Amino acid sequence: MSSIAVPNVERTASVKTGGKWKFLIGGLLILGAIAYVTVMSFQSNAIYYLNLKELNAQRASLVNQAVRINAPLDKSSIQFDDKSLTLKFILRDGDLALPVVYKGVVPDTMDKGDSVVAEGKLGADGIFQASTILVKCPSKYESEPAR
Amino acid sequence: MTDVAMADLGYAALFLSLIFSLYAAGAALYAARRNRSEIFVSARNAIFVVAALTSLATGILVWALVTHQFRIEYVARQTSRAQPLLYNISALWGGQEGSLLFWAWLLAIFSAIVLIQNYRKNQELMPYVITGLGVTIAFFLALMTIASNPEESGFIIALPLNATLAASLVGNPFRVLDFVPRDGNGLNPLLQNPGMFIHPVTQYLGYVGFTIPFAFAMAALFTRRLSDVWIRTTRRWTLVSWLFLSLGLLFGMQWAYMELGWGGYWGWDPVENASLMPWLTATAYLHSVMIQEKRGMLKVWNLVLVMLTFALSLLGTFITRSGVIESVHAFGVSSLGPWFLVFLGLTLLSFLYLLFERMGDLKEENELDSLVSRESSFLLNNLILVGAAFATLWGTIFPMVNEAITNKKVTVGAPFFNQVNGPIFFALIILVGICPLIGWRRATIENLIRNFMRPFAATLVAVIVFFALGVREWYGLLSYGAATFVLVTIALEFYRGALARVRQYSENWGIAAINLISDNRRRYGGYIVHVGVILAVIGIAGSSFYQSETQANLKPGETVQLKNYTLRFDGLQIYPRENHQAITARLTVFENGTNVGILVPEKNYYPSNNPDMSQWTTEIAVRTTPLEDLYVTLAGFDEKAQTATLKVIINPLVVWLWIGFAILVGGTVVAALPDPREERALARARAKEALAHA
Repeated sequence: MSSIAVPNVERTASVKTGGKWKFLIGGLLILGAIAYVTVMSFQSNAIYYLNLKELNAQRASLVNQAVRINAPLDKSSIQFDDKSLTLKFILRDGDLALPVVYKGVVPDTMDKGDSVVAEGKLGADGIFQASTILVKCPSKYESEPAR
Repeated sequence: MTDVAMADLGYAALFLSLIFSLYAAGAALYAARRNRSEIFVSARNAIFVVAALTSLATGILVWALVTHQFRIEYVARQTSRAQPLLYNISALWGGQEGSLLFWAWLLAIFSAIVLIQNYRKNQELMPYVITGLGVTIAFFLALMTIASNPEESGFIIALPLNATLAASLVGNPFRVLDFVPRDGNGLNPLLQNPGMFIHPVTQYLGYVGFTIPFAFAMAALFTRRLSDVWIRTTRRWTLVSWLFLSLGLLFGMQWAYMELGWGGYWGWDPVENASLMPWLTATAYLHSVMIQEKRGMLKVWNLVLVMLTFALSLLGTFITRSGVIESVHAFGVSSLGPWFLVFLGLTLLSFLYLLFERMGDLKEENELDSLVSRESSFLLNNLILVGAAFATLWGTIFPMVNEAITNKKVTVGAPFFNQVNGPIFFALIILVGICPLIGWRRATIENLIRNFMRPFAATLVAVIVFFALGVREWYGLLSYGAATFVLVTIALEFYRGALARVRQYSENWGIAAINLISDNRRRYGGYIVHVGVILAVIGIAGSSFYQSETQANLKPGETVQLKNYTLRFDGLQIYPRENHQAITARLTVFENGTNVGILVPEKNYYPSNNPDMSQWTTEIAVRTTPLEDLYVTLAGFDEKAQTATLKVIINPLVVWLWIGFAILVGGTVVAALPDPREERALARARAKEALAHA
């Protein structure tokens, strides 16, 4: 593969112009296959992304299904048992409250959280077992200067 | 000068830059249409002025950041007196307004360099290149100087002429407060990590760099000079930009691994995806241009790839900066997002319009001969890379689109991306091995069999060895088999090349290898990059498939065990450091009973004058060997009881991910070195094009 002048080979009679279609169809098939797999996987992996009101409205149908919740955090409710690494807190929106249990390393920004995005399953006992949590701060990496 | 006067000066420099960049864009276009070379010179000089003025503005902001001019709101937000100098400087790109300035400044400098390199050599293309670059610079300057907040007041531009009036502009880095805070808030402690100093810089250099090939592509379309001259002219710009995107990925992964403390380096977070997507399309472009250079084919495809890469770079900046998608990176929701989308949309539309308009000039000079040829394997590689970029884009932005259409919020996480991209990347790896084995134009069966024999045999042996060593999972065998296959084919390429030199010039093997690389920098640089990619894949496969972890709550003297490691907790230490309080847990590590050293994971408390801004960070401790990382997080502690809760993770082979990237960087540097062979090819292409347009 030297890059020294590989001459542009003139089109010879033996090269059929129809060859182009072979490649076009092949290429479209591959792209089509990737697109198909993408869309299908999206549908099979898509989970609902709900706030507390929406969760409450569909509570019965969502038990033990993977969902992602975004709701305001009740900071006073945060409890962390550092022996078992179990974090418990309550997400609260008006009258609605959702107790959440999470096992693992607590995000460093937990006590600054305005709201929490939690992914996991709602148990039949009404407790949300979170597998991942993302803490949303008033603004995460920027904030207004204090007077 | 007072702080406010300096802020005014900075703002004025930006505003003047805006005027000069718009002038450059317009004048260059006029000069080209009317063939007025003196106006072209004037447009060129205007770009130099923009480079100087944006440098002045950047200098002023850096001065303000390091000398604590808290009257300037950006400074008060991003720095504090206690913050180390390094991080006060990195505050330049730590927030939205500063990053906009950084983008504009880098692009202005790049534009000036491109002009110095090309204004004599490429007189036909350069006016249009100036127009493209001028418009892009002007866009970023406008965001800082005249663009309103579209959410509050719609799309209007205001013309405030001093920083006080400009206070309402969300993008203005020189906004001043009506009081002087005693101290600033400082950068989020999570960002106070050396990786964070370098990661955004490399990421931006990569994003910004792709504006250069894009501007040349646009100019080539305008002038109908659509041979490979524009591609060869920007070859090294493209490579260096790609190099910086790769470094951006590397430093980003390292930061996540060291700083976030969850034991991984990649979470398919929207901002991570945003940096991966242009890297994928740029990788496709780096390969497909070879087909145009050699065979005069894929002209439209190459233009589309440059466009996609530029668009995804802008989208990357937009996603990172706008907070439009939820992410660990969400840098505060910005209101400038709609401006980005408008600019992106207009740029894409005009490029596509030009592309269709010029379709007649983009005829292929040759046709693909055979499905089994080097060309086909390049084509396949391109489809796969673009497919991976598409799948990633879909998972990243479809939830948003879907919500806008159906008002239902759905989302996908890592499982989706792994499920789709896993097989795609696997196919890509195999292709990296197959491609050099297939000849150009049309490969014969005998050729194929001969070329595949040895790598295939080596792969078989390797898979049997891995199996004997205890790798039983199909995905492990598949990944490591594929890696072996590729490494063997590359080794054979080097072997054959060196052997030819040993025979022909009677060089010894070492000299032959060095000369081989240095005489074919592009080709062998590329192979070195492939070796790096494969090593990275080995690291990724090991750490994703074979991670193990445990956690324990320990009193001093107690131990925790994971596989062949035993960690003894020796006690907590709590003491103050420069700008934070450190809580450290001392651990003695035993591997198979032998003391192999100590690890000290930490938690740090950063106090702040603003209680909402004080924060904890977790500093992991890690012991790296070629086989595995022992990764320890201090997840919790009790000062009274002197206990510590530890999370211990074993990440096999992670170090090969970093080594692989280092080799990738080295290979890219080799390929990007000045190359007489490429210079001659460019000169020939230029002569040919001049003839065609005479």
